[in-house]
Amino acid sequence: MAVSRSFCGFLAVIPSLTQQKAFSVSASVAAIQKLTRVRVVDNSSLGNTPHHRSPRVIHVYTKNGFGKVGDRVLLAIKGQKKKALIVGQKMPGERMSPRFDSNNVVLIEDNGNPTGTRIKVPIPTHLRKMEGDYSKLLAIANRFV
Amino acid sequence: MRIEKCYFCSGPVYPGHGTMFVRNDCKNFRFCKSKCLKNFKKKRNPRKTRWTKAFRKASGKELTVDNCLEFEKRRNVAVKYQRALWSKTVEAMKVVEGIKQKRQARFILNRLRKGKQLEKEEAIQEVKKNIHLIKAPHAGKAKIMEEKMVQKLQEDVEMDD
Repeated sequence: MAVSRSFCGFLAVIPSLTQQKAFSVSASVAAIQKLTRVRVVDNSSLGNTPHHRSPRVIHVYTKNGFGKVGDRVLLAIKGQKKKALIVGQKMPGERMSPRFDSNNVVLIEDNGNPTGTRIKVPIPTHLRKMEGDYSKLLAIANRFV
Repeated sequence: MRIEKCYFCSGPVYPGHGTMFVRNDCKNFRFCKSKCLKNFKKKRNPRKTRWTKAFRKASGKELTVDNCLEFEKRRNVAVKYQRALWSKTVEAMKVVEGIKQKRQARFILNRLRKGKQLEKEEAIQEVKKNIHLIKAPHAGKAKIMEEKMVQKLQEDVEMDD
């Protein structure tokens, strides 16, 4: 598996009424690894306030360096380190799980509790079957896919 | 359990089949097979891709407005389970499906009937145009002779008068 770190993907800026949110739409279809730009999908203030750099992964808590849906990662957001959970990836994963248009991530505390209070973006249902305590996360999720 | 519709070809997606793509505006796209997915990625418009149901309905090749098609529409209303209602619905589904197939077949038959008529007219035109190829060399000459004889007889009769 070729590990390519592309620094030169362009950021898409969606014009919205309240604030500008940019996330990566570059052609990378790999799993989530160090320095991937991710999209924070909960309603936490850390995840939604604009910053001159998009949130990036700086460490992936797996045996290999690749994060899939359900894995924990360490993000660098607004100059701080924050843990997060991957809830959607561009790379095709499990056979019957949906593929998302962006690498979605939900901010998490060190004990596993989500930082935000609501997740409006659809969350894959196979998170329920996964080992690990995702119950708090699934409790705040609005839509399942 | 629900049998979904493929976004591209409108075919049924049974459980355990196909793929799903979630766009960033939270719209789900289900695909029954990779053919449909690949076409979607190529940004093809299903309403212009001739083999899809979307094209056929959009271009009037298949039944679009009918009461029996109303049954297929999704209702976002939960219905409390009642055994009698359930079994009646299953029976009704069988009947409606039969009626729907007949109506759809009838629609297509009527659409193609016009073609048969046009074919017939075209055939007649072709025969008329190329009659010299199939006409026998002495065809019609007996009749012309007869008419000439009749005319001659008439002239004779007039001359006698």
